[in-house]
Amino acid sequence: MRVQLMVTCLVDSFFPEIGEAVVEVLTEAGATVNIPRGQTCCGQPAMNTGYRSQARQMGARTLQIFGRSPYPVVVPSGSCAAMLRHGYEELFADDAPRLRQSRDLASRSFELSEFLVERLRVIELGASTTATLAYQPSCHLLRGLGVDRQPSELLSALNGPPVERLQPDCCGFGGAFSVDHAEISEAMLDRKLDEIDSAGVEAVVGCDVSCLMHLEGGLRRHGSGVRCAHLAQILTSREPGLR
Amino acid sequence: MRQAFLDGAHRAMGDPALQRALDRNAEGRQRARREAWAGLHDVEDLRQHARAIRQVTLDRLDSYIGLFTQRLHERGVQVHPAATSEEACQIVVDIAQRRGATRVAKSKSMLTEEIGLNAALEKAGIQAIETDLGEYIVQLRHESPSHILTPALHLSRQAVAETFSSELGLQVSPEVSDLTRAARKSLREVFLSAPIGVSGVNFGVAETGTLCLVTNEGNGRMVTSLPPVHVALMGIERLVPTLSDLRVMLQLLPRSGTGQKLSSYVSLLNGARRDGDPEGPEERHLVLVDAGRTAVRRSSLSESLLCIRCGACLNACPVFREIGGHAYGSVYPGPIGSVISPGLWGGEKYGHLAKASTLCGACVEACPVGIDLPTLLLRVRHQQTRIDPQPRWLGRSIRLFSWLATSERRFGLAQRLAALFSRLQPQSHGWLTALPGPLSAWSAARHFPPFAARPFRRRMRHLRLQGSGRSPEFDPRVETFPLPEAAPISDKLGRFAAELEAVGGEFIRCPEAEAADRVVGQLHLQGASRVLAWGQVEPILFTVLQRLEQDGFQVTQPHLPSRPYARPEALEKLDGAQAGVTGAQAGFADTGTIALSMGRRRSLLPSLLPVAHLAILRSSDIYESMQDWLNKVGAPLAASTQCMAFITGPSRTADIEMTLTVGVHGPAQLVVICLE
Repeated sequence: MRVQLMVTCLVDSFFPEIGEAVVEVLTEAGATVNIPRGQTCCGQPAMNTGYRSQARQMGARTLQIFGRSPYPVVVPSGSCAAMLRHGYEELFADDAPRLRQSRDLASRSFELSEFLVERLRVIELGASTTATLAYQPSCHLLRGLGVDRQPSELLSALNGPPVERLQPDCCGFGGAFSVDHAEISEAMLDRKLDEIDSAGVEAVVGCDVSCLMHLEGGLRRHGSGVRCAHLAQILTSREPGLR
Repeated sequence: MRQAFLDGAHRAMGDPALQRALDRNAEGRQRARREAWAGLHDVEDLRQHARAIRQVTLDRLDSYIGLFTQRLHERGVQVHPAATSEEACQIVVDIAQRRGATRVAKSKSMLTEEIGLNAALEKAGIQAIETDLGEYIVQLRHESPSHILTPALHLSRQAVAETFSSELGLQVSPEVSDLTRAARKSLREVFLSAPIGVSGVNFGVAETGTLCLVTNEGNGRMVTSLPPVHVALMGIERLVPTLSDLRVMLQLLPRSGTGQKLSSYVSLLNGARRDGDPEGPEERHLVLVDAGRTAVRRSSLSESLLCIRCGACLNACPVFREIGGHAYGSVYPGPIGSVISPGLWGGEKYGHLAKASTLCGACVEACPVGIDLPTLLLRVRHQQTRIDPQPRWLGRSIRLFSWLATSERRFGLAQRLAALFSRLQPQSHGWLTALPGPLSAWSAARHFPPFAARPFRRRMRHLRLQGSGRSPEFDPRVETFPLPEAAPISDKLGRFAAELEAVGGEFIRCPEAEAADRVVGQLHLQGASRVLAWGQVEPILFTVLQRLEQDGFQVTQPHLPSRPYARPEALEKLDGAQAGVTGAQAGFADTGTIALSMGRRRSLLPSLLPVAHLAILRSSDIYESMQDWLNKVGAPLAASTQCMAFITGPSRTADIEMTLTVGVHGPAQLVVICLE
């Protein structure tokens, strides 16, 4: 099956190794991965801060780039996938041609774990790790896309210790919220860090790079040895330990 | 405005007592809601149904308001449309002045908070006394509610005890039950003597002109039935088309708000007092308040009018949990408040609230009518970029980012520069420990990842990976997930008993011949000598009443005088009774509820004023649910009696520290004697 990868601006700019892991996982699962040129950002930061004309510019571009071929679009991030699935319909509500394109794109956009389990019907990827893991169900993935069972099934097929599940409470990131409401964000983060601390695991795994970046930023600040990993990194792990 | 919000949030986060209260609220209420929802047959279906009902009502609001108004007129309710808050307040002031009233007794109503009714009354020299326990405490402290359901959420019992001492001169130990008793005593006088009762309305039923009030403490029942005048205020959007639609809402409202299957008291009010009614207001008024709702209806925020004010989104919101209600600086806090407030009163004052959210969606998940709050918050944010683009750096950054991200070349260049910049920043194990400018707010509590020296797209530029060639495996585990266990089915009577006991009521089952013995036995247990009772409207009551007289109980069948000035004295006399004995028209097995309708010699006061209420119910009158009853026999009765009370357990409150206490205004004890 041919797929188009929307790698997301965060993975591209900060965590290229996650992008590589995503490509590896998809390939391992039997997909042919295409990475359309020209992709940058889906426009979610502008949408979420209310700057819709900027969001439309980035959104229109994204529609065009992923509209060149009819293949499914795989996104290794719940919130960006939710932007494609729901956000564009709101953003282009008054723009009939783009609204049509948005609906088409929405119908063939998938978050990575969702695509692996629902479309490729793959759960067993031969991954193994000795690290103890806790899974963080991120908000846009869980409540925006309703994706919960899929990452859990992928993680339970892992050859390694059983994976814990953290509470489905927000880590406090929220994009610009983490900066312009930093104090509230920090209080929410602290709660999550306490929860991770009492889980006593070596790493937190999730499907949203932004949340993981926020969590790891907090963990590192507190001198914690716990690290964050994207699901794809775990699914490509063939060695004991992480990184 | 934004700064005031941030300051308020800062204060709240530094207040350990408040933090404990907020944690208690979030954890307790969320758990209760989840459990209550889980007990519903198909909660998703029900939510969709409820949403459709609300949507249809809003779509044809004008005609439903027309029908509703007509029905109210027919039933002798005086309807006063009010376009603005000021108009609404003036209408109430005028009614009070015409009656020569110097004080009114109020049950909790967010609408009256919204329009500033108490201040308007005070200005006219009329004292408004809040009677909901939480609201009473908050009023004594000259504060505003911090939660739409639990006004005194932010206060500890010590603070409440101090308030009672300083404001009322009462020395009460900081025990929740003692505080509740003290409030009961001090407010009882208010109920008995108030010339006017003021309340909100949870739902208006268009088809029948019924006003529905949902309360737990019993104060709502008092203010709508004891004073000679009742003024109800209702937002124009709070309508449902039919009684059957109301039933759907009643399945969701208490479950979502407090996690109860049904609140202790649901009153259906149909018109003013009629000939033969033992009580009820001679005058009933309804003020139908627009105050900006029509404008919201025509705006992109119209979905917010579906709200039924259950408070579930406040309880679910992680931001509310950190900062509480007062920080929002609005009558309506939390996620729904961050949409309603700018919707009703403009973005200049309240638009900034929409930014205080991570869009995590916990609110929409908890909303019984599925309001898409994250999308509405995004719409407010969008408007806000034009009205009040604060903070400035954010807009500038987004514009710059958009310019960069709309060209792959510019984006790539920016990534390189950023990578270079990353290297110059202070680091710890490869992550940045400090960021410049506004971003320093991030790095105050978190490290930041460095920009990659070679971004993903550059690494992949020449790479087009091919599939491994093997066919995707099919794993049969995908198909197997556990099915929910079916609820055990038992008999109707058994379920009624279990539900009644679960809400703190007592269930006694006996043959009809023993009923009188049981009633007498219960009264002795209560130490009751003075009893309020229904008249001999049924043969069984004939037997019971005869027995009570034989045994020397002083039995009164309440019938309030219609002359307003004679009422307080009459009520004073009734107030001395220690127990009430009534029949019941029906019982609902799914919630343990009993239904009592007012009528000739069927006063509802025995079920409200005394500390104990004994209700005699025939087992043949137990129905599966409210819906079952409405369908089979109940609908005509519910729509015709001046007042129908659905009673689910004793009067209760959790207004102080979320600690459940019974008997706040109504009975502390409810005994249902079920005849075989």
